[in-house]
Amino acid sequence: MMSVLSLELGIFILGILGASALLQKSRQEAGSDGTRGTITAGLLFATVGIIASGWTWSIHNSLMKSGSSSMCASEGLVQCGSVIGDPQWNSLFGMPWGVVGIASFGAIFFVLMTLYLDQNAKRTPQFVNYLWYLGIAGLPFVAWLVVVELLLVEGAPHICPYCTVIHLSMIGVFVSSHIMRGRRASSTW
Amino acid sequence: MARRRGASSDLTKNNEETLLWAGLTTAGVVSLVVIASLALAPIVSIGPEEGNRAPDFVADAYNGGSWYEFRMSDIWDWDWDGNSSESKWILIQFIDTDCPYCWEEGDEMSQYHSQWKDRVTFVTVSVHLNIPNHESSKSEIEAFRDRTSFGTDDNDGDGCNSGRDDCVNRPGTPHQWTYVDDPSNSIFGQWELSGTPFTAILQPDGIVAWNKLKHQGQGGDGEEISSALQRLVGDS
Repeated sequence: MMSVLSLELGIFILGILGASALLQKSRQEAGSDGTRGTITAGLLFATVGIIASGWTWSIHNSLMKSGSSSMCASEGLVQCGSVIGDPQWNSLFGMPWGVVGIASFGAIFFVLMTLYLDQNAKRTPQFVNYLWYLGIAGLPFVAWLVVVELLLVEGAPHICPYCTVIHLSMIGVFVSSHIMRGRRASSTW
Repeated sequence: MARRRGASSDLTKNNEETLLWAGLTTAGVVSLVVIASLALAPIVSIGPEEGNRAPDFVADAYNGGSWYEFRMSDIWDWDWDGNSSESKWILIQFIDTDCPYCWEEGDEMSQYHSQWKDRVTFVTVSVHLNIPNHESSKSEIEAFRDRTSFGTDDNDGDGCNSGRDDCVNRPGTPHQWTYVDDPSNSIFGQWELSGTPFTAILQPDGIVAWNKLKHQGQGGDGEEISSALQRLVGDS
């Protein structure tokens, strides 16, 4: 267990837990304070998603260079080597999943940051919808990558902890966007 | 009555500076993450060009007895120091069991294997070119490799060499190395190939050391596989 839970993974998990707690707290609050808390929670999820994606990209690159990585375990059920290192499943049209993650969470981050900077702008309803669509679009990828980890990679099942952090971040973004849409619909924005 | 919040009428006009600042913040965060990621582990060049890491793959392979899952990088020696003669080089060949040039190359490959098998691991990738009479199957690949009977010697589309020959008559001896099936031509695509046969020599750590198209294509120095093996691997 100790070999799996590294400092970086601990920080990512704390980020997810912090964002979840903030989201839960903000749900109870009506008005702009609650809205700002929800947006902040979404931003935190997106930030964790971007950084964790960068981390998996580094693992990918080190695996391509030397066949192993000091950044994640390569043996056992919970590991990265067999998932990020699998040539059949470690990329999307030749692009490492980490890069796909950085780009996707980057787009989400931009929308959330726009909402954060001016939550009462005229574009707000449109941007809340954009965020929801981005969240929706991310979920099939999360589901597919979980299937890949559990069933398709060489020696499956394996669980890549950093990939799981990214999946949870995407789910967190989707839940945040769903709550924002709810706040708009119920006029508690 | 308390004023309803969040109604569209409460929304103020768009401030374009907001988009600018959101864009700049996003660009800053993404740039930082990209720079940090590359500092931790730079991108490795992967591809068929000499000096690049060869594309890795997982595919069904036949070793003369049975089919099994083969991963190219499993035969690489990641710790190869550039000098050790303990580690084996790799010769990867791409064929189509119905390609006449591949049929003829069968004999050369037998000779190379006989000469260098102690220092070079041979891998043949059998692709399925989309050409009439080039339909292939695992049974045909087995027969081509093992030099066993499959099809007829009549030009009826049944067998190897565009269906002109029984596979048992392939030039050369039975090939005592791994044959990989590439039914979707995905490995072929990763190597950016347009035809067969093709050969490349990899260092023991999977770096491409010799690419046939570079040497025997337009503007190449004409170096043959045997000369390249002699130059890179040395005497057998």
